[in-house]
Amino acid sequence: MEHYSLKINGNVYETDAEPFESLLDVLREKLRLTGSKKGCDEGECGACTALLDGKPVLSCILLVSDVRDREVLTIEGLPQGGEPHPIQVEMTERGGIQCGYCTPGIIMSAYALLQENPRPSEDEIRFAIAGNICRCTGYSKIVEALQAAAGTPIR
Amino acid sequence: MAQPEQVTSAAQSGPYDWIGTSVPKVDALDKALGITQYVGDMQMPGMLHARIRWSGVPHAVIRGIDTSDAEKVPGVRAVLTAGDIPGVNRYGLAVQDQRVLADDKVRSAADPVALVAAETEQAAEEAINKIKLDLEPLRPVLSIEDALDPTAPAIHEGGNLFARTTVRKGDLDQGVRESDVIVETTYRTHLMDHMAMETESSLAYIDPTGVLTIITSTQYPYRDRRQIAPALNLSMNKVRVVQAPIGGGFGRKDDITSEIHAGLLALKTQRPVRLIYTRQDSLIANTKRHPMLLKFRTGARSDGRLTFVDADIYGDTGAYLSLGAFVIKKAGIHACGPYDVPNIRVDTHTLYTNNLSSGAMRGFGVLQAAVAHESQMDQLAHRLGISPIDIRLINTLKPGLPTGTGQVMDEGCGIEATVLRIKEYMESQDLRFARS
Repeated sequence: MEHYSLKINGNVYETDAEPFESLLDVLREKLRLTGSKKGCDEGECGACTALLDGKPVLSCILLVSDVRDREVLTIEGLPQGGEPHPIQVEMTERGGIQCGYCTPGIIMSAYALLQENPRPSEDEIRFAIAGNICRCTGYSKIVEALQAAAGTPIR
Repeated sequence: MAQPEQVTSAAQSGPYDWIGTSVPKVDALDKALGITQYVGDMQMPGMLHARIRWSGVPHAVIRGIDTSDAEKVPGVRAVLTAGDIPGVNRYGLAVQDQRVLADDKVRSAADPVALVAAETEQAAEEAINKIKLDLEPLRPVLSIEDALDPTAPAIHEGGNLFARTTVRKGDLDQGVRESDVIVETTYRTHLMDHMAMETESSLAYIDPTGVLTIITSTQYPYRDRRQIAPALNLSMNKVRVVQAPIGGGFGRKDDITSEIHAGLLALKTQRPVRLIYTRQDSLIANTKRHPMLLKFRTGARSDGRLTFVDADIYGDTGAYLSLGAFVIKKAGIHACGPYDVPNIRVDTHTLYTNNLSSGAMRGFGVLQAAVAHESQMDQLAHRLGISPIDIRLINTLKPGLPTGTGQVMDEGCGIEATVLRIKEYMESQDLRFARS
């Protein structure tokens, strides 16, 4: 076991973990930040997507020992002043959510996109969430919700 | 052209105003915020982690299971095999042909053979890998053809043909005589995993009143309880099944998945036990979409009117029935698709094999039938020189016409309107069929 001070969502979390543990397992099992989901545990499905220094990463294949001194942002860190982020609101209101298991990962991928590119095209949105698998919606409502969150015209 | 979906305000009054209104799901915001608690998000004080050892071979006699090395792994609190089951080692949705843990034989590579509960996931994983299986391989039945072979070994008592269903209408011979063209083809569909984003998962514990409580990702808590209680030798009122938010089911969580295993480990250890399938567990175990072999002969007159369908549909339900006989029967009921067919002979055959078992999945047998009946329509159109759209319009069911099983369509029958819309759309976009 080693000791880690992790900067997550603007807070510092102190925890002990084995260096080989994934960031996802530490978030979920040790820090009880369970919004990041485990769908495949091998970097295929995108449900565990978090931001590391502003870039989307797959937290299930990122070792906790690799995130020292870096800024982690998870779905729990998105609301500001107790208000859901506009992506969270639009996903809720436009039917972008069914079972909800892929939802946090999709929202984090979309958030990373909008930070870099506030007015993305539909193609850019689809490309940004290409690593996030959803088995319920067929993606159309998700893309519409993300277009609404970006304030771009919906097809 | 499609009109944009009409979204009306929910702020209306009256009992029916919600109909036709888009309403956000009540639980959607929690899911967007990441605060919904799926089973895998839950922990309890003193909770153990469970893993399953699968058989790994499709058909074998079990000569022995050596768990001694697994029991020595630090942190392991229980290693269980079939002998540890307090009740009846049988369950199943329609017939009780599944073992909680394999006893006499292994019938598929995804048969659970042993369970481990340990203080950590890593210890549980290490322990299942240290269980030694002594298996004497049997001749496996790995295809529909194998299952139909009279010399194949019987996987269960009663043989490999579980059920046969028939659909009969009109006079097949007359239909054949009236045909100007007959198309005969054999189709195969493959096994498919539902691949729900959340794998199978249960958290089991004994509550302060002694009730075994199982929080689980399931589609059917009461049917689960009916199967859990006898296996664990508990009365029904000593088992409580709580349906957690489900990260996708699509049919596969109809069946028992992790529930009995988690419950058994909680009973044995008297501690909360969380069993979450890895993605690999989920891929090999539990039900899939049925692979089918569909032999179709379909006839039509020169004007495109269908004359008969003559078909045999064979479904591979794998080692366990689940809802197989119902899925495969339904493929037969839908074998003629949304078309008016005057003469029909359809037989379905539900077969056991040593493959992974199949059960409910979106469509429930109808999609496999569609592969065959729609491909037959395309072939007939090609042979007759009629467009694929027009041959469908000639034959679609309409209000007043009966299906193959005698259900008379009412005004809810929309297939003709649907095909017309496709025709309109293709014309407006100048789309053509690659082969017509």
